[in-house]
Amino acid sequence: MGMLAWVIMGLALWHYTIWLPDRFWGGIVGAFLASIAGAIVTGVLISTAAHGTAIPGRHATHLATVLYAVPGALLGMALIYAIGATRERTASAEL
Amino acid sequence: MSDRVRHIFVITLVTALVLVSLLVCVGIPGVVKAEKTRLGLDLKGGVELVYEARTTSGKPVNSTQLNDAINIMRTRSNTLGVSGVIITAYGGNQISVSLPDVQNTARAEKVVGVTGQLFFYDWENSVIGADGKIAGPNAPTVTCGNSGGTFAACGISYYDAVIRGAKQPEHSYPVMSNPAPSFYYVDDKTKTVYAPNGPEPTKAFLDADILQHHIRLPSGTRLVEVKQGTVLIAATSAPEVVVPNDYYVLRDDAVLTGSDISNPQSTTDPTQGPVVSFGFKGNGASVFQRITGILAARGHANSIAGATPNLQHFAVTLDGQLVVVPSINFQQYPTGIPSGNGSEISGGFTFATANQLANVLASGALPVKLHEISSRLVSATLGHQALNQGLIAGLVGLALVALFLLVFYRVLGVIAVSALAIYALYFYALIKLIPVTLTLPGIAGLILTIGVAADANVVIFERVKEESRAGRSPLNAITAGYRRGFSAIVDANVVTFMAAFILFILSQSDVQGFALTLGMGVLVSLFTAVAATRAILGTLGRTRVIRAPSALGVTKGRRRWTFDFMGRSRWFFSLSGTILLVGAIAIGARGVNFGIDFVSGTQIQVALKRTATVGEIQSAISSLHLKSQGQSIGVPVVQGTGTTAKGSKKTDSFQISTKTLPSAEIGSLGSSVKTLYGMLDHRWGIVPNSFNQNSVGPSFGRTVADSAAVAIIASLLAIAAYIALRFQWKYAVPVMIALMHDLLITAGVYALTGRQVTASTVAALLTILGYSMYDTIIVFDRVRENVAKMQNAAFSQIVNRSMSEVLTRSLATSLCTLLPILALLFFGGSTLKDFAFALLVGVASGAYSSIFIASPVLTHWKEREPVYRRRRARIAAEYGGMVPAYATAGAAAREVDPVPRRKPRRGLTDAVRPDGTIAAGEFRELVQGLHADAPPRRASEPAAGPVVPEPARVEPVRDPTADALPEDVVMPDDRSAQRARGASKSRNRRRGRPR
Repeated sequence: MGMLAWVIMGLALWHYTIWLPDRFWGGIVGAFLASIAGAIVTGVLISTAAHGTAIPGRHATHLATVLYAVPGALLGMALIYAIGATRERTASAEL
Repeated sequence: MSDRVRHIFVITLVTALVLVSLLVCVGIPGVVKAEKTRLGLDLKGGVELVYEARTTSGKPVNSTQLNDAINIMRTRSNTLGVSGVIITAYGGNQISVSLPDVQNTARAEKVVGVTGQLFFYDWENSVIGADGKIAGPNAPTVTCGNSGGTFAACGISYYDAVIRGAKQPEHSYPVMSNPAPSFYYVDDKTKTVYAPNGPEPTKAFLDADILQHHIRLPSGTRLVEVKQGTVLIAATSAPEVVVPNDYYVLRDDAVLTGSDISNPQSTTDPTQGPVVSFGFKGNGASVFQRITGILAARGHANSIAGATPNLQHFAVTLDGQLVVVPSINFQQYPTGIPSGNGSEISGGFTFATANQLANVLASGALPVKLHEISSRLVSATLGHQALNQGLIAGLVGLALVALFLLVFYRVLGVIAVSALAIYALYFYALIKLIPVTLTLPGIAGLILTIGVAADANVVIFERVKEESRAGRSPLNAITAGYRRGFSAIVDANVVTFMAAFILFILSQSDVQGFALTLGMGVLVSLFTAVAATRAILGTLGRTRVIRAPSALGVTKGRRRWTFDFMGRSRWFFSLSGTILLVGAIAIGARGVNFGIDFVSGTQIQVALKRTATVGEIQSAISSLHLKSQGQSIGVPVVQGTGTTAKGSKKTDSFQISTKTLPSAEIGSLGSSVKTLYGMLDHRWGIVPNSFNQNSVGPSFGRTVADSAAVAIIASLLAIAAYIALRFQWKYAVPVMIALMHDLLITAGVYALTGRQVTASTVAALLTILGYSMYDTIIVFDRVRENVAKMQNAAFSQIVNRSMSEVLTRSLATSLCTLLPILALLFFGGSTLKDFAFALLVGVASGAYSSIFIASPVLTHWKEREPVYRRRRARIAAEYGGMVPAYATAGAAAREVDPVPRRKPRRGLTDAVRPDGTIAAGEFRELVQGLHADAPPRRASEPAAGPVVPEPARVEPVRDPTADALPEDVVMPDDRSAQRARGASKSRNRRRGRPR
């Protein structure tokens, strides 16, 4: 259940990237993958650190569990954005 | 074959099939009997049992063992006197048994599900005493003397039996009931044994049982092994007690087995008491006489003259439980019982139990041990009620769709409605002919396919209207509409069929019924909605009926959608993001309410003669303090499901659910359920045949959840692969994202509303997969078409144009699908309502995501490609920095018709060739068109004119002024099929000369 919550949170946050300039590495799909992957990674890390369980089950999923995904999703998308922007600058310089 | 001849042929075929279908459905009174419809348990009433098979040795069950078990169970079920029994294997180790019309779960279990392993023991020479030694003939406190252990007069507790058995060394005997060790967990403090499914041959199996039954072992619990050669036999303290409460420890040295006997029959003894008589096979008779002779001699030797004779016994056990322990009268049979004419088992039987034992023995022992993991009892009354509700929902759904089609499409609507009626008739005939067992989810699938069948017509009719508006004559518009709409329909139906197929392969019985009807419906609707309507319209197109475009529903002054779909997609994205955020928070805060299909437990539905409030029922049940195996079954959840009078909280139907249920209760009308039944009947009166019981064990719930997850992942992969093949891999990714969006929004809505997720919800989720893709594919098909046409427009302009062209169709198809779903929601029974709710959310989300999620993602991704980036830059430069929403002026508005209307010709300058290359002339035009999109030239590179490729082969373009390859701007499409058809035509035809 925890995994489901993290994936939904990652997907939800990804939707707002539409407001940013499309400089993500791999475009909007790259941002999507980064958001989902980041959400799962930090979800697992924080859950393991806080409760000793990698993926909380049905009864162990609470509101806080859902929020574990937020930093990962944001970091993942920021990372992909930074890579994309750098590559774009490099490509422009070469022209 | 000309179009006219082909149409006549199709109409003749359709008519012939209609007549055959009528014959199957209605028959001819007195001549041909109509086929019967096979109804499933949920519509007819009956018992469904699901078992998990395990070997006694701990090895995995193989298919031969499973098939043998099914054959034996089928033979046994015949003795229940019901027809239409369905026994199927699935999941590699599970067996599902459906027994229509049976209303006694306990009886069904005893006939079908018992392993049936019968063993005969020399009683006094097998029972082990407290000292760990064989009791022998003179230990009546251990063997019960002349009572012979019947009804456990001298038995010991389960814990003591395990401890006593564990002290025995390992032995091997020629005939053993259990040639493997037995493992138990025991708690010495409370003297409790933990083996929820009985002893297991390995620790791993036992651990799995403990885990499945959510048993938390107390600290200090230890594993105990009873080695091979010792067996624990359960006994009951009284004949009417079902659960054994006393045990004997026996040396597992059996003298005869069930396979040594023949022709077992239930009969009566001279006192008219019930007995089970049987003969012997092979040397069974001589062994029996020898053993009884030994018992007689031992009894004689250990008896004192004048005192009560010390009779010796042999014990008959069935599946580890003592059946009977008869004594041998040494005075009557001093040399043993002659068994040339067979023998009999008597004592402790009722006529019913004697009959059951005879039947079990006659069919033979099962080669595997069965654990019941789910059982369902559906009353006939509620089954019929569900059937009526399903039929009403179906008829209302059909009527609503028909009304919509008639209003919206006029003459075309009449033809579509006729096609729907033909579809319904064919489908009903197929259900009778195959025969398909019609279940409630199956009816839901059937109703949904009404929407799918209407969708196909809508897609084509909208295309026909477009062609008519473009100035074609009605006949030409019909021909062009079918030709252009066909590929989209095939793609969409293939995807829906794939989802249905995967669901059928990977799911459980009820969901399978749904998948089967959905898959069949897709195939039948493809024939009726495409082939039949085309033939009818093609014929009518030559008549006066369709002479004016208005007959096709084409109105003057048609308004075109001018909405900037891509420009406003940010707001729609944000809306979806917000819905998903709320869904995620709901999942965290409220969780998902899983039904007993997933979490195990018992659900009871009951109709009462006198009304009551939920609170009254709840408190009445709580006061019973229901327990099972010493554990509380928890506080049951009570819901009112009947009609409630205005201003009153009282109702007459209730659903009672318990979340936990010890294994012994599963499937049988256990003592707790019996108590509950008695209380409800006493206080409010239970309407006859209105008691439904559904019990699901933990392992069955896990199987349902696992199979659902596998089915969803498999569907996604298969569908992605199909879209990548038919379109382009970049088109598959937005489809997957849109699907994920739909499924997760549905999950979020379920969490938010607290509705229960059942096995039917899983079927609905998979339908959402199919439908959402159906809609997205129709949209993408038009994008693909316009990409080839609009070779100077930005991708966002192409998508906007495509959206404006298909939005009406998309809304119409969504409405066509939503109408039957709404009918299900309002008129279906409780099961269908649950199903319809998931569909309603999913289909609405699917229609939305096709337009506002999948297409924008595709646009954003495609616009990163160099060719579209350059186009966008050029258009922006042309319009002062902005890109108009629609390509209505300038170079962007220039369109080419990429599909040659002439028949393919063969030759070096052919426009479209079988190998997929394009003609030199067309390529030159294309490159010239692309010049406007050319990237800035580097100063170091020499200017070059357009490259003219070799006529025979199109080489990759090296021109720096136009570095796009033809495939950058022309999508692969379905014309390969046309080319193939062209290639198969005769040479003369292809050259265009008359034959």
